[in-house]
Amino acid sequence: MTEGRMEEAKKTVKMYEENEELFRAEEMIKDNKITFFVEDKKYRVRMLNLAERNELDNLRRKKFGQLLQDKDIMMEKDLIKQYQERGINISEMDERIQKLTAEEVATQLKLGEAISKNDGESVLNTYKETIESLQHEKRAILAEKTLLLEFSLENQLLSYVAQIFTYLSLEVFEDNSWKRKFESIAEFEKTTDDKLINTAAQYSILLQSL
Amino acid sequence: MTIYSSLQKLAKSVKYQNLFFASKEINGVRLFKNTFDFSSLQRLFLNYLWNFELIYIALSIDKISEKVLEDEIFWDAYLLWNRKENNKKSAINDKQHDVKLVSGKKINFPNKQRQ
Repeated sequence: MTEGRMEEAKKTVKMYEENEELFRAEEMIKDNKITFFVEDKKYRVRMLNLAERNELDNLRRKKFGQLLQDKDIMMEKDLIKQYQERGINISEMDERIQKLTAEEVATQLKLGEAISKNDGESVLNTYKETIESLQHEKRAILAEKTLLLEFSLENQLLSYVAQIFTYLSLEVFEDNSWKRKFESIAEFEKTTDDKLINTAAQYSILLQSL
Repeated sequence: MTIYSSLQKLAKSVKYQNLFFASKEINGVRLFKNTFDFSSLQRLFLNYLWNFELIYIALSIDKISEKVLEDEIFWDAYLLWNRKENNKKSAINDKQHDVKLVSGKKINFPNKQRQ
């Protein structure tokens, strides 16, 4: 194959991939359900109904009580204090994030005005680069902060809620009908099918209105 | 392409902009199968549709740069600036229509019975 034809083929494949992704996105928003396949089995996650949301609240409350009693798990504010004693200052990170956000908004307003005046491409691109670099720095600090506070009680609870979303909303297509994949939380917690759980969790969290 | 950039691409498309317009004008034309209890993705998509509608209107009326459609950073910046400008205009407008009441001053309202 010549280099030119190779390039054409690559472009066509990319176009097909993009169309496939757009089709998937359309499927995800047409109703409150997302269907997917794992190992040739058909699954779906859907938005929780009122009864399931009540069940979620009950489980969340129970978990919160358990976490509060666990002395190894600290609340975010206590964890921040501990870090401070070790020389890691989270409030300094917050201040830096605030400063970067203020700079970002100020640059966005300048860029917005430049767009409205139909300013030249180089002006617009310069502002864009500045915003990109501010966003990049902010994302790096946020990632570091998230990592530091990963084991706080609040974050443990959030990650538990994400698991419950998956447990309550995951269904499997069997014998021509949709059935709940897990009948109980105990059954869900025992499962070792990481591929299914990770895929379902990723989709389930996109649907729920928090 | 992430799910978010796919949704932005769909919201920007002529197909969905027309459908969005039609759903507001014609009874029975719907964007989604459900008519209430929208998921986070659906709400986000509606937000994108609304934003792109504003941008298309601005592109057809004002002489703004077409680069606004090229990248998220551009349309975010334009929408933020546009919102701030609109707030400024409505604040000025509100001030002009304010009724200033001075305490202690007698106001003679027209009396129908006297006329």
